[in-house]
Amino acid sequence: MPLPRLLRNTLITALVIAAFVISYRVTEADFPRLLRDLPKGRELLTAFLTPDIVQRDLETRTISIAFPIPCGSAAVEDSPPSQGPRLVPGVNCAAPLEKFTLEGFDLQPNSEVVIRWRLPNERTMTAIRTQTDAKGYFRQEVQARPIQATVNGIPSRLEVDTLTPVGGLKPSQALKDVMDNMFVTIFMALLSTTLATLIAAPLSFLAASNITRKGCIGTAVYYAFRSFFNLMRSYDPLVMATVFGFWLSFGPFPGFLALTVVTIASLGKLFSEAVENIDPGPVEALQAVGAPSLHTVRYAVVPQVIPDFVSYIIYHWDINVRISTIIGFVGGGGIGYYLNLSINDFKWNQAGTAIWAIVIVVWMMDFLSAEVRKRLT
Amino acid sequence: MLRIQNVSKTYPNGTQALKNVSFDVADGEFLVVIGLSGSGKSTLLRCINRLIEPTEGKIVWDDVDITTASPAELRQIRRKIGMVFQQFNLVKRSSVLTNVLSGRLGYANPWASLLGIWPQEDKQRAMQALERVGIAEKAHSRADALSGGQQQRVGIARALMQDPKLILADEPVASLDPVLSHSILQYLEQLNKDGITVICSLHFLDLVHRYATRVVALKDGVKVFEGTPNEIDRAKFKEIYGEEAQEVRAASL
Amino acid sequence: MSKQVSTAIISALVPGLGQFLLGERYRGSGILIGFLLILATTLWYGQPLWYLSPLSIWLWNVWDAFHLALGRRHSVLLPLAFGLAAAYGIGWQVVEIDFSRANMERAIAILRPMTRPDFIQPRRELNQMWVPVEVPCSSQPPAARRDEGGRAAFVMPDCGRVSETLIVSVSGLWPNTATDIYWQTPIGNSLMLGEGEITMLTLPTDENGALTTTIRVPTTALVAAPDPTLPQFHRVYFEQSRPIGGYELSFIGSEVLKGALATVSMALMATGLAVLFAVPLSFLAARNLMSGNPLTYAIYLIVRTLLNILRSIESLIIAIVFVVIVGLGPFAGMLALALHSVAALGKLYSEVIEGIDPGPIEAIRATGANWLQVVRYAVIPQIIPPFTAFTIYRWDINVRSATVIGLVGGGGIGFLLIELIRVNNMRGVSAVFIAIAAIVIVLDYFSAKLRERLV
Repeated sequence: MPLPRLLRNTLITALVIAAFVISYRVTEADFPRLLRDLPKGRELLTAFLTPDIVQRDLETRTISIAFPIPCGSAAVEDSPPSQGPRLVPGVNCAAPLEKFTLEGFDLQPNSEVVIRWRLPNERTMTAIRTQTDAKGYFRQEVQARPIQATVNGIPSRLEVDTLTPVGGLKPSQALKDVMDNMFVTIFMALLSTTLATLIAAPLSFLAASNITRKGCIGTAVYYAFRSFFNLMRSYDPLVMATVFGFWLSFGPFPGFLALTVVTIASLGKLFSEAVENIDPGPVEALQAVGAPSLHTVRYAVVPQVIPDFVSYIIYHWDINVRISTIIGFVGGGGIGYYLNLSINDFKWNQAGTAIWAIVIVVWMMDFLSAEVRKRLT
Repeated sequence: MLRIQNVSKTYPNGTQALKNVSFDVADGEFLVVIGLSGSGKSTLLRCINRLIEPTEGKIVWDDVDITTASPAELRQIRRKIGMVFQQFNLVKRSSVLTNVLSGRLGYANPWASLLGIWPQEDKQRAMQALERVGIAEKAHSRADALSGGQQQRVGIARALMQDPKLILADEPVASLDPVLSHSILQYLEQLNKDGITVICSLHFLDLVHRYATRVVALKDGVKVFEGTPNEIDRAKFKEIYGEEAQEVRAASL
Repeated sequence: MSKQVSTAIISALVPGLGQFLLGERYRGSGILIGFLLILATTLWYGQPLWYLSPLSIWLWNVWDAFHLALGRRHSVLLPLAFGLAAAYGIGWQVVEIDFSRANMERAIAILRPMTRPDFIQPRRELNQMWVPVEVPCSSQPPAARRDEGGRAAFVMPDCGRVSETLIVSVSGLWPNTATDIYWQTPIGNSLMLGEGEITMLTLPTDENGALTTTIRVPTTALVAAPDPTLPQFHRVYFEQSRPIGGYELSFIGSEVLKGALATVSMALMATGLAVLFAVPLSFLAARNLMSGNPLTYAIYLIVRTLLNILRSIESLIIAIVFVVIVGLGPFAGMLALALHSVAALGKLYSEVIEGIDPGPIEAIRATGANWLQVVRYAVIPQIIPPFTAFTIYRWDINVRSATVIGLVGGGGIGFLLIELIRVNNMRGVSAVFIAIAAIVIVLDYFSAKLRERLV
């Protein structure tokens, strides 16, 4: 007996609400945290919007002064010269974690300044970055960070690098790396689509009911390939890539193989559906002629399915470019790998360059594949 | 000489398409099978070259039992039986020439033909067949660029490539205009005069009168009439087509 | 100068131009584009061998122009082959294709455990007993013996140093049953006592359920101790287990189920959230509604562009950003999926709105209905079924994406997968693979059914 409409609708609504409540708890949704932490995202977004595309060669000049921490642990710097590039700290020495001001005079104008501590054992600790004005002057509050900074009477030194851009703009290293990796990505997609097509095209006939599903063996083969395609298709290439990466270790090769396996399944399914949708008349005609079955396929089926096949191949190339941009995240090589590295190193501008490259390539592929497929039909 | 003996066909879904049908076809006859849609005409024709496996009965052609032939023997038999279809069954995206050449697949070298390489002799034969049906100039067009009548002529040319001794024509004119019908049947008649036996299923009685040398009528899978066209009188007509039927002339449509 | 020579020279200067000028537009532009593409590729790759490819295309092009001017057409198979040879050759090297790396032994070592997915295990009953022992010795070590529930165990002597041999004995366990004997440090690390301390020491009990053997105090027993000279109580464990019939979910199995639930939930939440934002945005991104005046048209362009940019960034990349913002876990993955889905759904919805039939709107307006009534009776009935269908479709896609979003820390089953692979637990990986296939295939089926009923 069919449920009354109202009861049924109430039931469905209740189920949907229950599903969302469970989901809300399972996903540990915490929107206040999102709102609170969103400013972190603004920093990322600004970095993404200023991708690292061009750079200028930098000239680095370094000056330093001795700075004993704590006071008396070593000799202080002699009184600084009153001319030329010089550093003038507000105090000559400081207790650990004490704050003081540091001024620089007659440095390179309009340059980036990196202030750091050089410990007696030659290791460095970056303190802070700032900028000089047009006269080469900067003023910056610095904290005496190194705690045990004086070893055997040798003090830590306060060191300042001025980085002055010289020469014209040129493509940055990040841009070159991104293009190199994009090159790998596009070829990964191209090769995997090609290999997958070469394998899937013949196999698809075995998974087409109108060709294979005859007799006991035929039916078995049909179901075997059908289920193989359906099973493999359910895995995202990235899931496959984890296992291939585990097997073959890191690089574009496992990514390529994972992409190929999933594409075989996906194309195999699409192809076999195209084969199933052909006009059966010509097949019958060629059987009546006495043609062997392979020839029936060659002359009656293949000419009918070629346009569909080509359209699917182009469509899949498009998808594969998209996927190969991210397959590097799980050890697949290409631009995804570069992006992952940049993010792990907190180099957000570099990551921005990679993301913009991905957006552009994906857009271009989208457009091209749509245009070509439009022409075909 | 083709002997059809007690042939029955039951489809897996239980439909009984043919019930115990028997008749003989002498060499050189133009036999027409008539009957309503669904009376079993197509099934009968397809049983002869075993595109459909008969459930029971025997079909013997020139002392060879078609019904028990092995797959290899069956291909040998099929290449001597040309077939023309209602929907032409051409590969629409292939050229007319390729479609005609594919009629030769029962004879051709299996490897060369798989690669699409055909001997010069076969190509000449295909052009001759196309000339015979009057569309040689269309040889390099795609099949779907042709009109229905032209496509059916390609279908006949394809059957000719087989050097057939027997042509099975399954409603060859049902998808065509009445005027074109006559032109197609005239080609079949011409082939019949050249010594090829023709078994043709038709819808319109006036076409039967004009072309058939003998007629077999089916109703619900049972043979209800066998004889010359002239023997079909009003009573027979009503028996075959049912009480309400009116004779319609193809030419008057 | 004869025509063929001049055509050849033009084509030598600009590949394809000669052919173009002879009226062969497709051939000409095809040659030029193909030549430039291959040239750019080989130049970028920079291995001189591959320069042969654009060079031979260029030579063929000159030759072709010459012959074309004479009225002879040649097949373009040859230059196509040159181009493809370079493209696939370079691709082969760039992608580092090397099938010799495909170590079959390793593949079998990975695949064999995968034939036995770790999902359920036979239900077993555990019989556990332990005895304390002091390491290293104090001046007055207490007796290393312990009685519990009819079982008794002792160690001789009562204390020991690292690598010293001790006699352990236990009684009252199940008779004739394999017993695992292992060491547990005070902080709870289990150490094995078998050969080389990398195998489990397993011995059978006698018919009375008793067992006596010698062990050596593990060399690593004090590695994690804050002060190795301080005497502390370690434990020697005796553990027996036997099947009691039936099966139960294994630990990995329950983790897989949790991961699967998180995956599906993530997709559901993300889709729900995306619909909330996508519906209003889609109206702003519908050309037919927004092209009225320049201001709305500008809004349309901005929204459209934003949606397009967002759509071409994979949800996985967005997930990394959210992981940085809100930390590891399904919430980050859910937000990423939601953001990507807003873009994807917004585009699909707006296309639905752009494609609605204006007839009913006209008809309802003709009855004298106001704007709200027009929307209610002419617009909404038209857009609800396709909106629902696209939403279900998106949910389907989101489930698929949710399986991988964990790979970058987004939670769900992908996170479990990457953890299991890291510790080489291939039986667990196999269980994850089965779960993913089950989720995707089942949801695929249901979403197809649902959409069929809607459309």
